[in-house]
Amino acid sequence: MTDFPVLQSLGYILFTAAVAVLLLRLARVPTIVAYMAAGIVLGPVAGVLTMTESVNLIADVGIALLLFLVGLELSLDKIRGIGRVALLGGSIQMVVCGAIGWGVARVSGASAGTAAVLALAVTFSSTVVVVKLLGHKRQLSELHGRIAVGILLVQDAAVAIALTLFAALQAPQSTGVGALVRGIGTALAGMLLLAGAAALGARWLLPRLLAWVRSSSETVFIWSLAWCFLFIVLAESVRLSVELGAFIAGIGLAQLHVAVELRRRVQPLVNFFLAVFFVSLGLHLDPASALSRWPLVLGLCLIAVVVKPAVLFLTVPRFGFDRRSAFLASISLAQMSEFSFILAALATAAGVLDSGMQSVITVAGLITIALSSYLIVSGESLYARMAGRRGRPDAVPGAAEAALDRLEHHVIVVGMNSLGVRIVEELVRRGEAVIAIDTDPTKLMRLPSRTLLGSVDDLTVLEEANFGSARLVVSALQIEDTNNLLAYRCHRAGVPVSIHAYDLGLIEELKELGTEYIMVPKHDGTRQLALRLRDAGVLD
Amino acid sequence: MLSIAVLLVAAAAAYGVAQLLRVPTIPVLLATGVVLGLSGSLEPELVRDTLVLGTTILLFATGIELSPQRTRAQSRLAVRVGGLQFLLLGLIGLGAALALGYGPVTAAYMALALTASSTLVAVRLLQRRRQLYEPFGRLVLGVLLLQDLLVLLLIPFVTDLPYGWVPILTGTFATVALAALAYATFRWAAPLMERLDTEEEVMLLLLLGVLFLFVGLADLLRLPLVTGAFFAGVAMARFPLSGMARAHLSSITEFFSALFFIALGALVGVPSFLEMLHAAVLAGVVILFTPPLVILIAERAGMSSRPAIESGLLLTQTSEISLVIGLFGLIAGQIPRSAFIVIALVTLVTMVLTPFITTDRMVWWLMRRRRVRSVPERRRTDREARPSGHVLVLGSGATGMPLLETLLGMGHEVVVIDDDPVVIRRLRDADIPCLRGDASDVELLRRAGADRARIITSTIRRPQDNRRLLEYARGVPVLVRVFEESDAEWIRKLGGTPIIASHAAAAEMLNWFDQQFGRAVERATVGTETPLASG
Repeated sequence: MTDFPVLQSLGYILFTAAVAVLLLRLARVPTIVAYMAAGIVLGPVAGVLTMTESVNLIADVGIALLLFLVGLELSLDKIRGIGRVALLGGSIQMVVCGAIGWGVARVSGASAGTAAVLALAVTFSSTVVVVKLLGHKRQLSELHGRIAVGILLVQDAAVAIALTLFAALQAPQSTGVGALVRGIGTALAGMLLLAGAAALGARWLLPRLLAWVRSSSETVFIWSLAWCFLFIVLAESVRLSVELGAFIAGIGLAQLHVAVELRRRVQPLVNFFLAVFFVSLGLHLDPASALSRWPLVLGLCLIAVVVKPAVLFLTVPRFGFDRRSAFLASISLAQMSEFSFILAALATAAGVLDSGMQSVITVAGLITIALSSYLIVSGESLYARMAGRRGRPDAVPGAAEAALDRLEHHVIVVGMNSLGVRIVEELVRRGEAVIAIDTDPTKLMRLPSRTLLGSVDDLTVLEEANFGSARLVVSALQIEDTNNLLAYRCHRAGVPVSIHAYDLGLIEELKELGTEYIMVPKHDGTRQLALRLRDAGVLD
Repeated sequence: MLSIAVLLVAAAAAYGVAQLLRVPTIPVLLATGVVLGLSGSLEPELVRDTLVLGTTILLFATGIELSPQRTRAQSRLAVRVGGLQFLLLGLIGLGAALALGYGPVTAAYMALALTASSTLVAVRLLQRRRQLYEPFGRLVLGVLLLQDLLVLLLIPFVTDLPYGWVPILTGTFATVALAALAYATFRWAAPLMERLDTEEEVMLLLLLGVLFLFVGLADLLRLPLVTGAFFAGVAMARFPLSGMARAHLSSITEFFSALFFIALGALVGVPSFLEMLHAAVLAGVVILFTPPLVILIAERAGMSSRPAIESGLLLTQTSEISLVIGLFGLIAGQIPRSAFIVIALVTLVTMVLTPFITTDRMVWWLMRRRRVRSVPERRRTDREARPSGHVLVLGSGATGMPLLETLLGMGHEVVVIDDDPVVIRRLRDADIPCLRGDASDVELLRRAGADRARIITSTIRRPQDNRRLLEYARGVPVLVRVFEESDAEWIRKLGGTPIIASHAAAAEMLNWFDQQFGRAVERATVGTETPLASG
């Protein structure tokens, strides 16, 4: 394996990560923390692994794909209504946190330049961490999730501007105000260009292309990824961040009906790449030099974990949002961004920062990310405790709405061949609530019931159909493995299931898997045939 | 990022072209890679890393598809067919490569590359045609698993050929040891992993952890890494884990295999005339020898002609694993670049040809050729005179038996046509007149007196096979059992009476539903008046 450095590093990373996640899972440690722990073990502790360019690239792809995924989640009607709070609230938070950070750094004796970098580093929150954890709790499209993501995006735009500024400041001919104006101008023009391209593509180009290939979900998948990376390249060419490009590409696709299926397909890819990313964060750690400046580390942590959410919690309700959403959104953002690592590296390279300062930022970043992942995971119970002490429990908004959307006592029918379609039609005629599932969108058209696009091999599809509360799951599919897996999962969840045995050889195993009713068209068809023979006078 | 974008856009273009021309994606991806390689826009570092990562994940996914459980029904047949085909084709390939002037090591690599057939191509075709669970589909799966196992077992033999027997033996022993570990994991660890079904991220990480554990072990044992990746896959092939794994890994596999084939194409570059010539010769060997070998062996082993022919045709291509072998030899410096290019070209050509080779037309062309030799089969059909006024039953599996008994009990004269040797044996034992063969064979229909029957029932597997029957037996009432409603229309047009089994099954199932859940249980809480995205 020593001949293949990528494989070797990836092997170490993924294997250690798997072990760490499995072990720390028992102590209910969030996976992000487990990943970083794995990185610390591999890098600073055992010293077996250094970063290669390919591993870096994989980590970058992870971030890009994650933002693509975030974009995919955001259809325009979800963004509507949070623009103001994101823009104004986000700006207020950035200004306040930046100022406090600068002050703290100056008090602890940093030079003006160093203080500026530290202030920038502590101001931004981590899109990757927030989106990953909220996504894991399936709260991205809830109100507080949308507020948090909105603010993060405003921060990302600010990051883009900051990076262009940074690049401009390093150029020899730059002059203060001119560079500032030019930097902001370029960044804004670039964003407009990207957004325009995405809007045009989503309106004219993509629907036609995707309609042509819709029967092949692999093609849809690869084409969408190509679309994403085209935007990444475009963003890089106008000096915007990879994240922003991927995000805008995602929003473009989010308006199309393939988005739901696409999200499910991109998710495992994101999980894979992001694991590498988080482990690589741990690899960078250099605890010794950070320890010698522990007051500064502590200060940065306090600003990120306490001041930042406090500022947001005071600001967000003024835009007309309830306290619960404001609280949850605020504590979601209580960490430093992985961008601060990049910034620190850039600043060190430019000579603004000494290398000890760089590890201060890294250590503070890792600590705040770890802390905030606990905050996000236990957000609701924290709020309940806080609200309880104040004696002002808020009604949970959106809960009623959510319940309306979740079917209960319904029937799920998988596979829209003649058998599936007939069963759906008959059940609807009986007044049952039915969800029809297939991987081919054309087969879901013109059905009288609710429909869901996707493969039931994927557990999230079943969960989306709320199969735990279904009174029956039916599969008309002619795919043995998928049917067996479905029977197995339904049996485990205690949901009755009826499966199509298109071959008599399949019956035995379906019985063993606890299938309640096995459909055998060959049998029933032959019986029908015998009846016809009787009609023809051959049988009596 | 730019290079990944380039690879992905190229892959996207290839998928589009493949869709347009209706050919498998792999060869189009390879060809696109060649073009991309010419433009020189790829960094060699990235190409190499993509190839290494791609191979690992591809072989892992292949292993997961090849569950020993699934092939059990046809395993003895698969061992006979696969083993003999592997051996004979390997020898022929070795001879051909030596004759083309390659050295013994290179020739051994090439022979090994020729013997394996593509799991990716065959499984996808079987799935698309819904034949994965027909007896021949299971045979093909079994043969594919066996081929891959044999190839991996022989890799140490080929790689250590120049170094004498000791490394060969240790290599083989190490491979067997890794296989044993894979079996142990399959047996004991896989059932534990199933419990993590609901935790996507943990499950994915565990799968990858197992993959890299095996890859690492393979490295320690000085085996090729692909061996580790493949065995890791087989270790995870246990139901239901395999299904979960497939769901978790499908996008990752899709992503990396697309990039892999593009990168491979880029590595190959434009072949010289000589390389093309050699590739043509070796592709010819595969195409001319694989089908006859498989057909003859399968028929000898008791399979009837048509499934034997279909198996033979479906296995007529070299595999993604052939590419991996070639790549491996190239990186290890054991085979020259030109030999690798030849292997890649053979794979490209044979994969492109597969969909065109496996058509019904080709099957029938071969069926006509086979007829002379199936005489001994025919001699045993006891009826010389053509029957008339009888009930002709086409296809009588387990479901047809009760009907058959009723018909006989009422004193009807019955003739049965079936292609399954087991069914035919049972019918002969019961002294029921029967003919073995394909229901879409007009000659057979003539001998069965299809045009003079009182009534015909058809419950054969593939609806389109009824076409010839309906054309031949015009005027005779024909009852055809079909599954899809869409088949009913043309059957009616040709004068048959379709019986739609799916509707019959739906009716039965709804009866059960009404008894179980009807009236007694309260109505669904949410109405259906809000159809979601059904436009």
